[in-house]
Amino acid sequence: MIAVDILADGFFAAIAAMGFGAISDPPLRAFKYIAVLAAVGHAARYCLMTFLGVDIASASLVAAFIIGTGSVWFGRKVFCPMTVLYIPALLPMVPGTYAYKTVFSLIMFLQNISSPTQGSEYLQSMMFNGAVAFSVIFMLAVGATLPVFLLRERANSMTRGSKYL
Amino acid sequence: MTQEYVNDIADFISRYVTHMLGAGVHTSRVVRNSKRIGEALGTEVRIHTSQKTATLTVCEKGGSTMSTRVLDIPGFPISFEWNADLSALSWAAYDNDMSLEAIQHKFDELISKPKINPWFVLFMVGLANASFCRLFGGGVWAMLIVFTSTLVGFFTRQHLTRRGVNHYIVFIVSAFVASLCASSALSLGIESAEIALATSVLYLVPGVPLINGVIDITDGHIQIGISRLVNALMLIVCIAIGMSGTLMLVKDSLL
Repeated sequence: MIAVDILADGFFAAIAAMGFGAISDPPLRAFKYIAVLAAVGHAARYCLMTFLGVDIASASLVAAFIIGTGSVWFGRKVFCPMTVLYIPALLPMVPGTYAYKTVFSLIMFLQNISSPTQGSEYLQSMMFNGAVAFSVIFMLAVGATLPVFLLRERANSMTRGSKYL
Repeated sequence: MTQEYVNDIADFISRYVTHMLGAGVHTSRVVRNSKRIGEALGTEVRIHTSQKTATLTVCEKGGSTMSTRVLDIPGFPISFEWNADLSALSWAAYDNDMSLEAIQHKFDELISKPKINPWFVLFMVGLANASFCRLFGGGVWAMLIVFTSTLVGFFTRQHLTRRGVNHYIVFIVSAFVASLCASSALSLGIESAEIALATSVLYLVPGVPLINGVIDITDGHIQIGISRLVNALMLIVCIAIGMSGTLMLVKDSLL
């Protein structure tokens, strides 16, 4: 049952990554690798958070590092820069709900400004959602960029000698 | 090296830089690739970038002939295909000793490639948002509702963008339309209606500028990184405004 949960998580993350990635016009040859990276990354984050109780920011960092490392490997195969593979693969993990709940809490705070108890509750909710959203986005990008710092030469010559030009 | 030749190189690299930056490529890659093309043609390139403009100087190597441009960065739709192809072009120019004319010809060919069919994108985005709903714990009916409301919302966005409507208004209207469609889940009494409503607008979240912004900051291009993050934040505010319109109509509270 646990295995089914993990596989389902990876499967739906892969579809989400391909669909949200499609908005940004990636090369067709990159789609299958985007799907694999997104599935592995999201499933890894799911396992870390559900079974090991890791917090969302650290789990995102680990997942993004896995995706970034994978994109060094796959990028050479399809002659795509790393960002072309890892940004779409990270999209399902972007904390969209936290981000817009930050703005909602702000609107609700302004409407309850005269009531000190409710007002401060909404202000607290705004800080909470904003802090989670910001740290997750930061961890995602840093985790995926770490392999670039470690393997600079290889990471910067992904498209060298491309067959698809 | 004549002044005219340096001018021609500067004109070409201007087009290259504006197309890359406009299509949402992170800054350090644009700078690196442009320097590589300049190097291949025997010049040194220096670039200063900000959100809407860039400054470029092309200088003959070991000489004193130089040419400077101040560029406006147009807002192209984000394109990873350009990112991949134009990066490959810079390596091809560097490795194969291509002439300026050959590079220009190849560049024109690459940027006029057809884009992915918009109907295919529409369908994919619908599927993506539906599976996103599943990741948040929504059931089959919630997924169906999210799929349809995303189709309607994204179709609105594509249509308004094509008409050249201001993109903040596009975001507010599409978020409102998508969440209004998804709010039907509340009146139909589906069990995970709240999840359907919350995920219906997530296809609008500007994930690419958010990640690009942080990449730029970690690369040391802090100013343009912050500009990108602020831009994305404005779009998120627009999503929240559009969705709060729906929530005020169908619910008493926003959260």
